Amino acid sequence: MSQQSLHGSGPSDDENSSEETAAGGQVFASAQGADDLLDEIDSVLESNSEEFVRSFVQKGGQ
Amino acid sequence: MERRIGGLETEFGLVCVRGDGTRALEPEAAARELFKPVVAKGRSSNVFLRNAARLYLDVGSHPEYATAECDDWWELVAQDRAGERLLAELMAQANARFAERGEDARIHLLKNNVDHEGNAFGSHENYLVDRRGEFTRLPRILLPFLVTRQIVTGAGGVVTEADGTSRFVFSRRSDHMFEAVSSATTRTRPLINTRDEPHGDPNRFRRLHVIVGDSTMSEVSTWLRFATTDLVLRLIESGRAADVPELEDTISSIRAVSRDLSGIEPLPLEGGRTASALQVQQRYLDLVAPLARPEEHEVLETWQRALDAVLTGDRSWASRTLDWAIKEKMVGQVAQRHALDLGDPRIERLDLAYHDIDPAQGLHASLQRRGLAPRVLADADVEAARTTAPTSTRAHLRGRFIAAAEDAGVDHVADWTTMRLVRQGAMPVSVMDPFATTSSQVDALIERVRAEGGGQGTNAAHPA
Repeated sequence: MSQQSLHGSGPSDDENSSEETAAGGQVFASAQGADDLLDEIDSVLESNSEEFVRSFVQKGGQ
Repeated sequence: MERRIGGLETEFGLVCVRGDGTRALEPEAAARELFKPVVAKGRSSNVFLRNAARLYLDVGSHPEYATAECDDWWELVAQDRAGERLLAELMAQANARFAERGEDARIHLLKNNVDHEGNAFGSHENYLVDRRGEFTRLPRILLPFLVTRQIVTGAGGVVTEADGTSRFVFSRRSDHMFEAVSSATTRTRPLINTRDEPHGDPNRFRRLHVIVGDSTMSEVSTWLRFATTDLVLRLIESGRAADVPELEDTISSIRAVSRDLSGIEPLPLEGGRTASALQVQQRYLDLVAPLARPEEHEVLETWQRALDAVLTGDRSWASRTLDWAIKEKMVGQVAQRHALDLGDPRIERLDLAYHDIDPAQGLHASLQRRGLAPRVLADADVEAARTTAPTSTRAHLRGRFIAAAEDAGVDHVADWTTMRLVRQGAMPVSVMDPFATTSSQVDALIERVRAEGGGQGTNAAHPA
Protein backbone atom coordinates (compact mmCIF):
# COMPACT_ATOMS: atom_id res chain seq x y z
CA MET A 1 0.00 0.00 0.00
CA SER A 2 1.59 3.25 -1.05
CA GLN A 3 1.14 6.28 1.09
CA GLN A 4 2.80 9.55 1.74
CA SER A 5 4.88 9.92 4.83
CA LEU A 6 2.90 11.25 7.76
CA HIS A 7 5.58 13.71 8.70
CA GLY A 8 7.32 14.20 5.40
CA SER A 9 6.20 16.28 2.46
CA GLY A 10 2.50 16.48 1.85
CA PRO A 11 -0.10 19.10 1.21
CA SER A 12 -0.18 20.19 4.82
CA ASP A 13 3.57 20.63 5.11
CA ASP A 14 3.68 22.57 1.87
CA GLU A 15 1.14 24.93 3.30
CA ASN A 16 3.13 25.20 6.48
CA SER A 17 6.38 26.07 4.75
CA SER A 18 4.70 28.66 2.56
CA GLU A 19 3.33 30.37 5.62
CA GLU A 20 6.65 30.37 7.37
CA THR A 21 9.12 31.09 4.65
CA ALA A 22 7.45 32.44 1.57
CA ALA A 23 7.12 36.05 0.54
CA GLY A 24 4.25 38.25 1.62
CA GLY A 25 2.15 37.51 -1.44
CA GLN A 26 1.93 33.85 -0.57
CA VAL A 27 1.17 34.50 3.06
CA PHE A 28 -1.67 36.68 1.87
CA ALA A 29 -2.86 33.89 -0.45
CA SER A 30 -2.86 31.45 2.44
CA ALA A 31 -4.83 33.79 4.69
CA GLN A 32 -7.28 34.30 1.88
CA GLY A 33 -7.58 30.51 1.58
CA ALA A 34 -8.62 30.35 5.22
CA ASP A 35 -11.20 33.08 4.61
CA ASP A 36 -12.50 31.16 1.59
CA LEU A 37 -13.00 28.17 3.82
CA LEU A 38 -14.87 30.17 6.45
CA ASP A 39 -17.02 31.71 3.70
CA GLU A 40 -17.75 28.23 2.39
CA ILE A 41 -18.72 27.11 5.90
CA ASP A 42 -20.90 30.20 6.33
CA SER A 43 -22.85 29.34 3.22
CA VAL A 44 -23.69 25.96 4.79
CA LEU A 45 -24.51 27.41 8.21
CA GLU A 46 -26.64 30.21 6.81
CA SER A 47 -29.02 27.86 5.05
CA ASN A 48 -31.50 26.58 7.59
CA SER A 49 -29.05 25.15 10.11
CA GLU A 50 -31.56 24.80 12.89
CA GLU A 51 -34.13 22.99 10.72
CA PHE A 52 -31.45 20.72 9.33
CA VAL A 53 -30.11 19.57 12.69
CA ARG A 54 -33.65 19.06 13.98
CA SER A 55 -34.44 16.87 10.98
CA PHE A 56 -31.61 14.52 11.86
CA VAL A 57 -33.30 12.08 14.22
CA GLN A 58 -32.77 8.38 13.71
CA LYS A 59 -33.75 6.00 16.41
CA GLY A 60 -32.24 2.62 17.08
CA GLY A 61 -28.72 1.97 15.89
CA GLN A 62 -26.06 -0.60 16.82
CA MET B 1 -0.47 -12.47 17.49
CA GLU B 2 2.29 -11.52 15.09
CA ARG B 3 -0.18 -10.81 12.32
CA ARG B 4 -3.53 -9.56 13.46
CA ILE B 5 -6.67 -9.33 11.42
CA GLY B 6 -9.05 -6.46 12.00
CA GLY B 7 -12.13 -4.95 10.46
CA LEU B 8 -14.19 -1.81 10.90
CA GLU B 9 -18.00 -1.60 10.84
CA THR B 10 -19.41 1.86 10.30
CA GLU B 11 -23.04 2.82 10.76
CA PHE B 12 -23.90 6.00 8.89
CA GLY B 13 -26.39 8.60 9.96
CA LEU B 14 -28.96 9.42 7.33
CA VAL B 15 -31.14 12.47 6.94
CA CYS B 16 -33.31 13.43 4.01
CA VAL B 17 -34.27 17.10 3.91
CA ARG B 18 -36.02 19.62 1.72
CA GLY B 19 -34.33 22.78 0.57
CA ASP B 20 -35.60 24.56 3.68
CA GLY B 21 -33.93 22.00 5.96
CA THR B 22 -37.16 20.33 7.08
CA ARG B 23 -37.46 16.59 6.82
CA ALA B 24 -38.51 15.34 3.39
CA LEU B 25 -38.54 11.61 4.08
CA GLU B 26 -38.45 9.44 7.17
CA PRO B 27 -35.17 7.50 7.54
CA GLU B 28 -36.86 4.23 6.50
CA ALA B 29 -38.11 5.63 3.20
CA ALA B 30 -34.84 7.47 2.53
CA ALA B 31 -32.84 4.30 3.18
CA ARG B 32 -35.05 2.33 0.79
CA GLU B 33 -34.42 4.93 -1.90
CA LEU B 34 -30.69 4.89 -1.18
CA PHE B 35 -30.47 1.10 -1.45
CA LYS B 36 -32.56 0.72 -4.63
CA PRO B 37 -29.56 -0.05 -6.87
CA VAL B 38 -28.20 -2.50 -4.26
CA VAL B 39 -31.49 -4.38 -4.04
CA ALA B 40 -31.90 -4.34 -7.82
CA LYS B 41 -28.53 -6.02 -8.18
CA GLY B 42 -28.66 -8.47 -5.30
CA ARG B 43 -32.38 -8.79 -4.47
CA SER B 44 -31.35 -7.98 -0.93
CA SER B 45 -30.31 -4.99 1.15
CA ASN B 46 -27.58 -7.14 2.67
CA VAL B 47 -24.78 -7.91 0.24
CA PHE B 48 -21.10 -8.73 0.06
CA LEU B 49 -19.16 -6.75 -2.50
CA ARG B 50 -16.29 -7.37 -4.89
CA ASN B 51 -13.93 -5.88 -2.36
CA ALA B 52 -15.18 -8.54 0.09
CA ALA B 53 -16.83 -5.93 2.33
CA ARG B 54 -20.40 -6.16 3.55
CA LEU B 55 -22.97 -3.47 2.81
CA TYR B 56 -26.38 -3.58 4.45
CA LEU B 57 -29.16 -1.72 6.17
CA ASP B 58 -28.99 -2.04 9.91
CA VAL B 59 -31.61 -1.52 12.59
CA GLY B 60 -32.90 2.05 12.52
CA SER B 61 -32.28 2.34 8.76
CA HIS B 62 -28.61 3.01 9.28
CA PRO B 63 -26.62 2.14 6.17
CA GLU B 64 -23.72 0.05 7.41
CA TYR B 65 -20.47 -0.83 5.73
CA ALA B 66 -18.15 -3.44 7.21
CA THR B 67 -14.67 -3.65 5.74
CA ALA B 68 -13.26 -6.98 4.74
CA GLU B 69 -10.61 -8.64 6.90
CA CYS B 70 -7.42 -6.55 6.84
CA ASP B 71 -4.00 -7.27 8.35
CA ASP B 72 -2.49 -3.92 7.42
CA TRP B 73 -3.94 -0.78 8.98
CA TRP B 74 -3.39 1.47 5.98
CA GLU B 75 -5.16 -1.14 3.91
CA LEU B 76 -8.00 -0.98 6.41
CA VAL B 77 -8.19 2.81 6.10
CA ALA B 78 -8.32 2.44 2.31
CA GLN B 79 -11.10 -0.14 2.57
CA ASP B 80 -13.00 2.11 4.97
CA ARG B 81 -12.63 5.16 2.72
CA ALA B 82 -13.72 3.02 -0.23
CA GLY B 83 -16.94 2.35 1.67
CA GLU B 84 -17.51 6.08 2.09
CA ARG B 85 -17.12 6.59 -1.65
CA LEU B 86 -19.46 3.73 -2.42
CA LEU B 87 -22.15 5.13 -0.17
CA ALA B 88 -21.53 8.66 -1.43
CA GLU B 89 -22.16 7.37 -4.93
CA LEU B 90 -25.42 5.70 -3.87
CA MET B 91 -26.36 9.00 -2.22
CA ALA B 92 -25.63 10.97 -5.41
CA GLN B 93 -27.70 8.53 -7.45
CA ALA B 94 -30.63 8.75 -5.03
CA ASN B 95 -30.46 12.54 -5.06
CA ALA B 96 -30.39 12.51 -8.86
CA ARG B 97 -33.53 10.33 -8.86
CA PHE B 98 -35.25 12.79 -6.52
CA ALA B 99 -34.34 15.61 -8.87
CA GLU B 100 -35.57 13.72 -11.93
CA ARG B 101 -38.88 13.12 -10.22
CA GLY B 102 -39.06 16.76 -9.26
CA GLU B 103 -39.03 15.96 -5.54
CA ASP B 104 -37.69 18.52 -3.11
CA ALA B 105 -35.52 16.03 -1.22
CA ARG B 106 -31.84 15.50 -0.62
CA ILE B 107 -30.14 12.71 1.34
CA HIS B 108 -27.11 13.47 3.50
CA LEU B 109 -25.01 10.60 4.85
CA LEU B 110 -23.14 11.41 8.02
CA LYS B 111 -20.22 9.35 9.25
CA ASN B 112 -20.78 10.34 12.86
CA ASN B 113 -22.19 8.74 15.99
CA VAL B 114 -25.11 10.69 17.39
CA ASP B 115 -28.26 12.37 16.09
CA HIS B 116 -29.98 15.55 17.26
CA GLU B 117 -31.89 13.78 20.02
CA GLY B 118 -28.87 11.90 21.33
CA ASN B 119 -29.58 8.55 19.70
CA ALA B 120 -26.18 6.95 19.26
CA PHE B 121 -24.88 4.62 16.59
CA GLY B 122 -21.57 3.05 16.17
CA SER B 123 -18.18 2.58 14.70
CA HIS B 124 -17.23 -0.92 15.77
CA GLU B 125 -13.67 -2.19 15.67
CA ASN B 126 -13.02 -5.90 15.45
CA TYR B 127 -9.74 -7.55 16.32
CA LEU B 128 -8.93 -11.21 15.99
CA VAL B 129 -7.34 -12.51 19.17
CA ASP B 130 -6.00 -15.89 20.11
CA ARG B 131 -8.50 -18.17 21.82
CA ARG B 132 -5.74 -19.44 24.10
CA GLY B 133 -5.17 -16.03 25.66
CA GLU B 134 -6.99 -15.18 28.85
CA PHE B 135 -9.88 -13.07 27.64
CA THR B 136 -11.01 -12.53 31.23
CA ARG B 137 -7.75 -10.70 31.90
CA LEU B 138 -7.67 -8.83 28.63
CA PRO B 139 -10.37 -6.19 29.26
CA ARG B 140 -8.84 -5.17 32.59
CA ILE B 141 -5.59 -4.29 30.86
CA LEU B 142 -7.19 -2.84 27.75
CA LEU B 143 -9.82 -0.63 29.40
CA PRO B 144 -7.58 2.18 30.73
CA PHE B 145 -6.13 2.45 27.23
CA LEU B 146 -9.58 2.63 25.63
CA VAL B 147 -10.81 5.18 28.17
CA THR B 148 -7.91 7.54 27.49
CA ARG B 149 -7.18 7.02 23.78
CA GLN B 150 -9.87 9.58 22.88
CA ILE B 151 -7.26 12.31 23.51
CA VAL B 152 -5.57 10.90 20.40
CA THR B 153 -8.33 9.42 18.25
CA GLY B 154 -11.52 11.15 19.43
CA ALA B 155 -13.63 12.86 16.77
CA GLY B 156 -14.17 15.94 18.97
CA GLY B 157 -17.47 17.68 19.38
CA VAL B 158 -19.65 19.80 21.60
CA VAL B 159 -21.73 18.54 24.51
CA THR B 160 -24.30 20.46 26.52
CA GLU B 161 -24.10 19.94 30.26
CA ALA B 162 -27.00 19.60 32.69
CA ASP B 163 -26.68 23.30 33.58
CA GLY B 164 -27.20 24.25 29.94
CA THR B 165 -23.62 25.29 29.21
CA SER B 166 -21.88 23.82 26.19
CA ARG B 167 -18.27 22.80 25.84
CA PHE B 168 -15.89 21.21 23.39
CA VAL B 169 -14.87 17.62 24.24
CA PHE B 170 -12.57 14.96 22.79
CA SER B 171 -15.41 12.52 22.20
CA ARG B 172 -19.17 12.92 22.44
CA ARG B 173 -19.47 9.16 22.45
CA SER B 174 -17.96 9.02 25.92
CA ASP B 175 -21.30 10.20 27.31
CA HIS B 176 -23.00 7.23 25.64
CA MET B 177 -20.94 4.60 27.46
CA PHE B 178 -22.57 2.96 30.44
CA GLU B 179 -20.58 -0.18 31.18
CA ALA B 180 -17.02 -1.39 30.81
CA VAL B 181 -17.67 -4.82 29.32
CA SER B 182 -20.98 -6.47 28.50
CA SER B 183 -23.02 -8.21 25.84
CA ALA B 184 -25.26 -5.16 25.30
CA THR B 185 -24.89 -2.81 22.37
CA THR B 186 -27.66 -0.30 22.84
CA ARG B 187 -29.39 0.02 26.18
CA THR B 188 -26.36 -0.04 28.46
CA ARG B 189 -23.66 0.33 25.87
CA PRO B 190 -20.21 -0.97 26.92
CA LEU B 191 -16.69 -0.07 25.74
CA ILE B 192 -16.03 -3.71 24.92
CA ASN B 193 -18.84 -5.90 23.69
CA THR B 194 -18.46 -9.58 24.54
CA ARG B 195 -20.20 -10.81 21.40
CA ASP B 196 -17.84 -13.54 20.31
CA GLU B 197 -18.36 -14.26 16.63
CA PRO B 198 -14.85 -15.02 15.45
CA HIS B 199 -16.00 -15.74 11.86
CA GLY B 200 -13.34 -18.42 11.97
CA ASP B 201 -12.35 -21.59 13.80
CA PRO B 202 -13.70 -20.96 17.34
CA ASN B 203 -11.10 -23.31 18.80
CA ARG B 204 -8.32 -21.02 17.60
CA PHE B 205 -9.78 -17.54 17.49
CA ARG B 206 -12.09 -15.19 19.24
CA ARG B 207 -13.24 -11.74 18.33
CA LEU B 208 -12.58 -8.64 20.36
CA HIS B 209 -15.38 -6.20 19.62
CA VAL B 210 -14.45 -2.64 20.64
CA ILE B 211 -17.43 -0.31 20.38
CA VAL B 212 -16.19 2.77 22.23
CA GLY B 213 -14.63 4.46 19.21
CA ASP B 214 -15.85 7.54 17.38
CA SER B 215 -16.35 7.38 13.65
CA THR B 216 -13.25 9.11 12.37
CA MET B 217 -12.95 11.14 9.18
CA SER B 218 -9.19 11.77 9.33
CA GLU B 219 -7.23 8.94 7.74
CA VAL B 220 -4.60 9.36 10.43
CA SER B 221 -7.16 9.13 13.24
CA THR B 222 -8.66 5.92 11.83
CA TRP B 223 -5.21 4.44 11.27
CA LEU B 224 -4.11 5.31 14.81
CA ARG B 225 -7.19 3.66 16.34
CA PHE B 226 -6.18 0.31 14.87
CA ALA B 227 -2.40 0.65 14.91
CA THR B 228 -2.21 1.63 18.59
CA THR B 229 -4.86 -0.84 19.77
CA ASP B 230 -3.05 -3.62 17.89
CA LEU B 231 0.17 -2.77 19.75
CA VAL B 232 -1.61 -2.77 23.12
CA LEU B 233 -3.14 -6.17 22.33
CA ARG B 234 0.34 -7.43 21.51
CA LEU B 235 1.52 -6.10 24.85
CA ILE B 236 -1.23 -8.02 26.62
CA GLU B 237 -0.44 -11.18 24.66
CA SER B 238 3.24 -10.83 25.51
CA GLY B 239 2.40 -11.08 29.21
CA ARG B 240 4.37 -7.88 29.91
CA ALA B 241 1.40 -5.67 30.72
CA ALA B 242 1.64 -6.04 34.49
CA ASP B 243 2.44 -2.37 35.03
CA VAL B 244 -0.58 -0.71 33.46
CA PRO B 245 -2.61 1.54 35.73
CA GLU B 246 -6.10 0.36 36.61
CA LEU B 247 -8.86 2.94 36.73
CA GLU B 248 -11.14 2.87 39.74
CA ASP B 249 -14.22 3.83 37.70
CA THR B 250 -14.22 3.31 33.95
CA ILE B 251 -17.38 5.24 33.17
CA SER B 252 -16.82 8.34 35.27
CA SER B 253 -13.23 8.40 33.98
CA ILE B 254 -14.18 8.26 30.31
CA ARG B 255 -16.48 11.24 30.78
CA ALA B 256 -13.87 13.19 32.73
CA VAL B 257 -11.20 12.50 30.10
CA SER B 258 -13.53 13.66 27.33
CA ARG B 259 -13.97 17.04 29.04
CA ASP B 260 -10.38 17.65 30.08
CA LEU B 261 -8.72 19.16 27.00
CA SER B 262 -5.51 19.66 29.02
CA GLY B 263 -5.19 15.90 29.57
CA ILE B 264 -3.79 16.42 33.05
CA GLU B 265 -6.79 16.01 35.35
CA PRO B 266 -6.07 13.20 37.86
CA LEU B 267 -8.13 10.02 37.44
CA PRO B 268 -8.54 7.80 40.51
CA LEU B 269 -6.72 4.47 40.20
CA GLU B 270 -7.29 1.22 42.03
CA GLY B 271 -5.15 1.30 45.15
CA GLY B 272 -5.63 5.01 45.86
CA ARG B 273 -3.18 6.67 43.47
CA THR B 274 -4.13 8.82 40.49
CA ALA B 275 -2.92 9.27 36.93
CA SER B 276 -3.88 11.71 34.18
CA ALA B 277 -5.09 10.65 30.74
CA LEU B 278 -1.76 11.81 29.34
CA GLN B 279 0.14 9.71 31.88
CA VAL B 280 -1.96 6.64 31.16
CA GLN B 281 -1.45 6.98 27.40
CA GLN B 282 2.26 7.67 27.82
CA ARG B 283 2.56 4.56 29.98
CA TYR B 284 1.01 2.35 27.29
CA LEU B 285 3.13 3.98 24.60
CA ASP B 286 6.32 3.36 26.59
CA LEU B 287 5.33 -0.25 27.32
CA VAL B 288 4.52 -1.13 23.70
CA ALA B 289 7.54 0.66 22.20
CA PRO B 290 9.92 -2.32 22.60
CA LEU B 291 7.36 -4.59 20.89
CA ALA B 292 6.99 -2.43 17.78
CA ARG B 293 8.50 -3.72 14.57
CA PRO B 294 10.77 -1.36 12.58
CA GLU B 295 7.95 -0.50 10.17
CA GLU B 296 5.77 0.43 13.13
CA HIS B 297 7.99 3.24 14.37
CA GLU B 298 5.78 5.67 12.54
CA VAL B 299 2.93 4.53 14.80
CA LEU B 300 4.97 5.29 17.91
CA GLU B 301 6.13 8.62 16.52
CA THR B 302 2.64 9.74 15.51
CA TRP B 303 1.15 8.59 18.81
CA GLN B 304 3.81 10.59 20.68
CA ARG B 305 3.16 13.67 18.57
CA ALA B 306 -0.53 13.39 19.37
CA LEU B 307 0.15 13.21 23.11
CA ASP B 308 2.57 16.14 22.86
CA ALA B 309 -0.13 18.22 21.16
CA VAL B 310 -2.29 17.82 24.25
CA LEU B 311 0.58 18.22 26.69
CA THR B 312 2.03 21.40 25.18
CA GLY B 313 -1.17 22.91 23.80
CA ASP B 314 0.70 23.42 20.51
CA ARG B 315 -1.92 22.35 17.97
CA SER B 316 0.00 23.29 14.80
CA TRP B 317 0.39 19.64 13.73
CA ALA B 318 -2.70 18.16 15.38
CA SER B 319 -5.11 20.75 14.00
CA ARG B 320 -4.34 19.54 10.48
CA THR B 321 -4.07 15.88 11.32
CA LEU B 322 -6.36 14.57 14.07
CA ASP B 323 -10.14 14.82 13.93
CA TRP B 324 -10.67 16.30 17.38
CA ALA B 325 -8.08 19.04 16.86
CA ILE B 326 -9.19 19.84 13.30
CA LYS B 327 -12.73 20.21 14.60
CA GLU B 328 -11.64 22.18 17.66
CA LYS B 329 -10.02 24.71 15.35
CA MET B 330 -13.03 24.92 13.01
CA VAL B 331 -15.49 25.26 15.86
CA GLY B 332 -13.32 27.91 17.50
CA GLN B 333 -12.97 29.95 14.32
CA VAL B 334 -16.64 29.83 13.42
CA ALA B 335 -17.80 30.60 16.97
CA GLN B 336 -15.43 33.55 17.11
CA ARG B 337 -16.32 34.86 13.67
CA HIS B 338 -20.03 35.05 14.51
CA ALA B 339 -19.80 35.39 18.29
CA LEU B 340 -21.72 32.13 18.72
CA ASP B 341 -22.26 30.14 21.88
CA LEU B 342 -21.07 26.55 21.38
CA GLY B 343 -24.65 25.41 21.98
CA ASP B 344 -25.85 27.32 18.91
CA PRO B 345 -27.48 25.07 16.27
CA ARG B 346 -25.01 26.42 13.73
CA ILE B 347 -22.18 24.72 15.65
CA GLU B 348 -24.07 21.43 15.56
CA ARG B 349 -24.62 21.99 11.82
CA LEU B 350 -20.87 22.57 11.43
CA ASP B 351 -20.19 19.27 13.20
CA LEU B 352 -22.58 17.44 10.87
CA ALA B 353 -20.99 19.11 7.83
CA TYR B 354 -17.59 17.82 8.97
CA HIS B 355 -18.93 14.24 8.96
CA ASP B 356 -20.90 14.59 5.71
CA ILE B 357 -19.36 12.09 3.26
CA ASP B 358 -20.41 14.02 0.15
CA PRO B 359 -17.09 14.48 -1.71
CA ALA B 360 -18.25 17.82 -3.15
CA GLN B 361 -20.06 19.34 -0.17
CA GLY B 362 -18.67 17.62 2.91
CA LEU B 363 -16.44 19.81 5.05
CA HIS B 364 -13.81 17.15 5.68
CA ALA B 365 -13.34 16.62 1.94
CA SER B 366 -13.01 20.37 1.50
CA LEU B 367 -10.39 20.53 4.25
CA GLN B 368 -8.50 17.71 2.55
CA ARG B 369 -8.46 19.60 -0.73
CA ARG B 370 -7.04 22.63 1.06
CA GLY B 371 -4.35 20.60 2.83
CA LEU B 372 -6.02 21.22 6.19
CA ALA B 373 -6.88 17.55 6.82
CA PRO B 374 -4.55 14.65 6.07
CA ARG B 375 -4.61 12.85 2.77
CA VAL B 376 -2.11 10.06 3.31
CA LEU B 377 -3.52 7.45 0.98
CA ALA B 378 -3.10 7.90 -2.72
CA ASP B 379 -6.43 8.49 -4.42
CA ALA B 380 -5.75 5.49 -6.66
CA ASP B 381 -5.43 3.22 -3.61
CA VAL B 382 -8.82 4.27 -2.25
CA GLU B 383 -10.35 3.88 -5.70
CA ALA B 384 -8.80 0.43 -6.12
CA ALA B 385 -10.14 -0.62 -2.71
CA ARG B 386 -13.68 -0.17 -4.02
CA THR B 387 -13.31 -3.18 -6.26
CA THR B 388 -10.30 -5.06 -4.90
CA ALA B 389 -10.29 -7.04 -1.67
CA PRO B 390 -7.25 -7.14 0.62
CA THR B 391 -4.91 -9.78 -0.82
CA SER B 392 -3.29 -11.03 2.37
CA THR B 393 -6.37 -12.43 4.17
CA ARG B 394 -9.39 -14.62 3.48
CA ALA B 395 -11.01 -11.53 1.97
CA HIS B 396 -8.96 -12.27 -1.14
CA LEU B 397 -10.86 -15.56 -1.64
CA ARG B 398 -14.28 -14.01 -1.04
CA GLY B 399 -13.44 -11.11 -3.35
CA ARG B 400 -12.33 -13.48 -6.14
CA PHE B 401 -15.48 -15.54 -5.79
CA ILE B 402 -17.83 -12.54 -5.83
CA ALA B 403 -16.02 -10.86 -8.71
CA ALA B 404 -16.13 -14.08 -10.75
CA ALA B 405 -19.82 -14.62 -9.99
CA GLU B 406 -20.75 -11.02 -10.80
CA ASP B 407 -18.78 -11.08 -14.04
CA ALA B 408 -20.34 -14.39 -15.07
CA GLY B 409 -23.82 -13.29 -13.98
CA VAL B 410 -24.28 -16.29 -11.67
CA ASP B 411 -26.56 -16.14 -8.61
CA HIS B 412 -24.51 -16.54 -5.46
CA VAL B 413 -24.47 -15.90 -1.74
CA ALA B 414 -21.62 -15.25 0.64
CA ASP B 415 -20.95 -14.41 4.23
CA TRP B 416 -17.75 -13.98 6.23
CA THR B 417 -16.83 -17.67 6.19
CA THR B 418 -18.97 -19.24 3.47
CA MET B 419 -19.71 -18.90 -0.23
CA ARG B 420 -21.98 -20.86 -2.53
CA LEU B 421 -24.02 -20.71 -5.70
CA VAL B 422 -27.77 -20.26 -5.46
CA ARG B 423 -29.25 -23.45 -6.81
CA GLN B 424 -30.63 -26.68 -5.47
CA GLY B 425 -28.01 -28.95 -4.03
CA ALA B 426 -25.16 -26.41 -4.32
CA MET B 427 -22.60 -27.21 -1.66
CA PRO B 428 -21.27 -24.26 0.33
CA VAL B 429 -17.52 -23.79 0.60
CA SER B 430 -16.36 -22.68 4.02
CA VAL B 431 -13.03 -21.05 4.81
CA MET B 432 -12.59 -21.07 8.56
CA ASP B 433 -9.07 -19.65 8.61
CA PRO B 434 -9.19 -15.83 8.28
CA PHE B 435 -5.51 -15.89 7.25
CA ALA B 436 -6.10 -18.25 4.32
CA THR B 437 -5.41 -16.74 0.90
CA THR B 438 -5.48 -19.94 -1.13
CA SER B 439 -8.07 -22.72 -1.26
CA SER B 440 -8.45 -25.45 -3.85
CA GLN B 441 -12.15 -25.64 -2.96
CA VAL B 442 -12.66 -21.97 -3.73
CA ASP B 443 -10.66 -22.36 -6.95
CA ALA B 444 -12.98 -25.21 -7.94
CA LEU B 445 -16.05 -23.15 -7.06
CA ILE B 446 -14.80 -20.27 -9.21
CA GLU B 447 -14.23 -22.72 -12.08
CA ARG B 448 -17.86 -23.82 -11.81
CA VAL B 449 -18.99 -20.19 -11.73
CA ARG B 450 -17.13 -19.47 -14.95
CA ALA B 451 -18.47 -22.60 -16.61
CA GLU B 452 -22.02 -21.52 -15.79
CA GLY B 453 -21.64 -17.88 -16.84
CA GLY B 454 -24.13 -15.92 -18.87
CA GLY B 455 -27.08 -15.33 -16.54
CA GLN B 456 -28.26 -12.22 -14.75
CA GLY B 457 -26.62 -12.99 -11.41
CA THR B 458 -27.70 -11.76 -8.02
CA ASN B 459 -25.52 -11.35 -5.02
CA ALA B 460 -27.12 -11.70 -1.63
CA ALA B 461 -25.53 -12.21 1.72
CA HIS B 462 -26.61 -15.14 3.82
CA PRO B 463 -29.34 -14.12 6.23
CA ALA B 464 -27.58 -12.73 9.30
